[in-house]
Amino acid sequence: MARAKTLRAPTTASLPNNLRIPSTTPSLAKSLGKHSRQALLDLALLWLDDRNITFFPPYLQSNARNDTNDEETLPYPAAETIEDIRQAYIDLQDRKGAKREVLERILEGDWRHGITLRQLAMADLRYMDDHPSSLRWTALELSRIDARQKKSIDTPMPDWSTSIPRAQAATFVRALQQEISPLVKAHFHLSRSSTLPLTFLRIFILDTPYQTPRQTPEVFADSSRVIYVAFPDSCPFIYTSVSTSTGSKAAPSTSSVATDPRSLQRLVRDAVPKALSRPHERYTLKATALAAKSLPTLLALRGPGRTTAANGAFSIFADAAVEGSPLDPRPSNTVSAEEHMRVDSKVVSTEDDKENEDAINGWGTASKRQKTGGDGTGDGHLSPTSKKRRLATYSRFGTTGGSHVPAPLDRLDIRLLDAPSSDGGDAATAALPTISLTFTGSDVIGGIRKLAELGVIDPERMPSWMTGEEAVSMAVVRGGKRMKSSA
Amino acid sequence: MVFPARDASASPDPHEQHLDTDIQSIRAEIRTLQRRKRFLTSSLLSSDSIQKFIRKPPPTLLLSSTSIADEVSPLVRAAGKHSDSNHHRIAFGTTAFPFKDPGSVGSSSLLGVRIDVCVRGGRFAKPYYVLLKSERVKGEKERRLRVYRHTVPAFIDIARVEGVYLSFPGSGKSQSQEGDSDDEAENSEALKGARKSGRRQDLRGFVRELRRELVAWHLRSDAIELLREKLGLSEEEAQIDPAERLSPEARGGIVALAATAVEARYVRLEWEDGRVGRFKLSNGGIVERAVVIGDDGRDKQMEDAMTGGGGRVETLLERLRERGAVAA
Repeated sequence: MARAKTLRAPTTASLPNNLRIPSTTPSLAKSLGKHSRQALLDLALLWLDDRNITFFPPYLQSNARNDTNDEETLPYPAAETIEDIRQAYIDLQDRKGAKREVLERILEGDWRHGITLRQLAMADLRYMDDHPSSLRWTALELSRIDARQKKSIDTPMPDWSTSIPRAQAATFVRALQQEISPLVKAHFHLSRSSTLPLTFLRIFILDTPYQTPRQTPEVFADSSRVIYVAFPDSCPFIYTSVSTSTGSKAAPSTSSVATDPRSLQRLVRDAVPKALSRPHERYTLKATALAAKSLPTLLALRGPGRTTAANGAFSIFADAAVEGSPLDPRPSNTVSAEEHMRVDSKVVSTEDDKENEDAINGWGTASKRQKTGGDGTGDGHLSPTSKKRRLATYSRFGTTGGSHVPAPLDRLDIRLLDAPSSDGGDAATAALPTISLTFTGSDVIGGIRKLAELGVIDPERMPSWMTGEEAVSMAVVRGGKRMKSSA
Repeated sequence: MVFPARDASASPDPHEQHLDTDIQSIRAEIRTLQRRKRFLTSSLLSSDSIQKFIRKPPPTLLLSSTSIADEVSPLVRAAGKHSDSNHHRIAFGTTAFPFKDPGSVGSSSLLGVRIDVCVRGGRFAKPYYVLLKSERVKGEKERRLRVYRHTVPAFIDIARVEGVYLSFPGSGKSQSQEGDSDDEAENSEALKGARKSGRRQDLRGFVRELRRELVAWHLRSDAIELLREKLGLSEEEAQIDPAERLSPEARGGIVALAATAVEARYVRLEWEDGRVGRFKLSNGGIVERAVVIGDDGRDKQMEDAMTGGGGRVETLLERLRERGAVAA
């Protein structure tokens, strides 16, 4: 809090990494309190790591000497060296105890002089790693506006690469800062996901032009002021945690100067494609009608891999579940889908040790799968009708919604524009009823698949949006087909 | 309260446990052997000599009315058919097949294209599929093909390839590729100089370009993997001759080499003295451009060594070593 005396002047710089939030802020304690004990210990040790220690040094005795505060009244005496503090957290790790003692030690002991913005960002990203479905992500497509490239046409080998914006992290953040600095003060934190092929950008926004804002410290831990943008590798999509789907022209806020977190979020979101653009290479964001809580789902449906444009019935192609490698002498129909997917191209070397392991590991899932049904092989004890239904379900869903490729949708919104009595034809009649359907659950498509397997839904007649084939979480349906323009 | 918890966590008789693991490993072995048996039987059935023997009517049976082919089990015939299609897949790399879309109301049939790409170690990558749908052109009688579903990775712009080779009147505006319509027009002019809508569809060209792009991607990532193996950086089981692996001295101080993204178009290098570099790989496996930056600016010599001498990526490390020897 010694910063209060510094000169305040509007600047265009971003909020500094080392801006400290007073440790006594209640919302800070609450925000850190979300973490598990283990996560807090990991974070503390990460902050004390040699690479990070200079950014947010802990409170040591050398600091205490300059401090006028009465040392005796505080529960945690200041440590001599950083090594002591590290040891203290390692000791905490070794014995069991409440989360509270770790939290108190962090806030009232080693970082009593404040938690920096960067520390808070690291804590939030750790929380996201621990709770992968804590946020709802919207997938957006990056597309070129002026695709007027002269190159690659005359050359004998044209370049068919998708134009994916390439940017160095620091350059991108600086460009983004330039875009939003007149309106928003922000703190940026970039980090690579530890489990997924993604890079996260956490943006904390504040509506002030000053470097050392005078807002109450409460706002710094306000989660509505935080935006996440995730950049998946090698594909023209980005995912954001901003829910307003196509907000850029949601008019009425233009009259009043928008300072609420929502409109600030929108400003930032609109700035992202501009920051990714370069001269002669402009990008814009397009909605893709997909939002989900699970990032693996987004990666499967709007990601770099094979599954982006082949889902539902076509997932058998994405997973290569029907045919093996051309070197596999076994006729395709004698090999189960699991084996195709698992073995991939290793079939040639059957005596590999690896293969053995695979067999052991894979067997559990394979046998489980046969019990729950799905591929229609090896269930001789079933009645012919349910066997037929199972095959039909498999042909409609492929591997979607099964246990192998989990890409759960937690919500599916459908608007049906067809009249309930399937006349068709007289679509011109004025008042067509629209029916909105919303499915929610931990895995909507998987649930529909279960229903089809049980015979509740006729797998042969159900429309394809129920099988996850369209790979969207919201759709407008007319005549059993998703309307692409309204997506 | 304490006891049940203990009971649950207490380990059973160690002897029993030992037997359990034994049983498990034996079961696993049986499964492996069963799979191997199945593998060998089908190899045998589809082997050339057996298939030839069956197809050729043996002289002793010439007089009988039924040929042996009618008597052999359907297994043998299935094996023969399968090995035929495998030969096609290996020899041509691209095969077509019919597919019935189970989801469409009017049960439309699709044209499937399967692309097999051979990768390092004599193996094949998971096949790539493109499913094409034949659709009626608005206001005209002719039907044209359109990409319906595919498993091509997102960094290959299949929409653009489609726009050039499988032009569909009216697409590019109503469809999801607004930004590409200009591009498409230009490309089409350059390629054919014909009218945009009336141009014939060129499925062969489409598949050729797509396959070329896929093969180039696999070649690029294989080449990077080769370099990583030579440098001893690869985590996976190395496929190269151990003699080819470079000794730590011969690595020229390179401590990291990896593709920057899945596309494997750009490769990032790192040296132990803090220099970092990056080069771009062309589809033909040539280092097109290279940048090396150290504490005192660009290292032009190193850059020349990377792009010079033909620029083949496979021999990159040798070139760098020679350059290092000259410099020292």
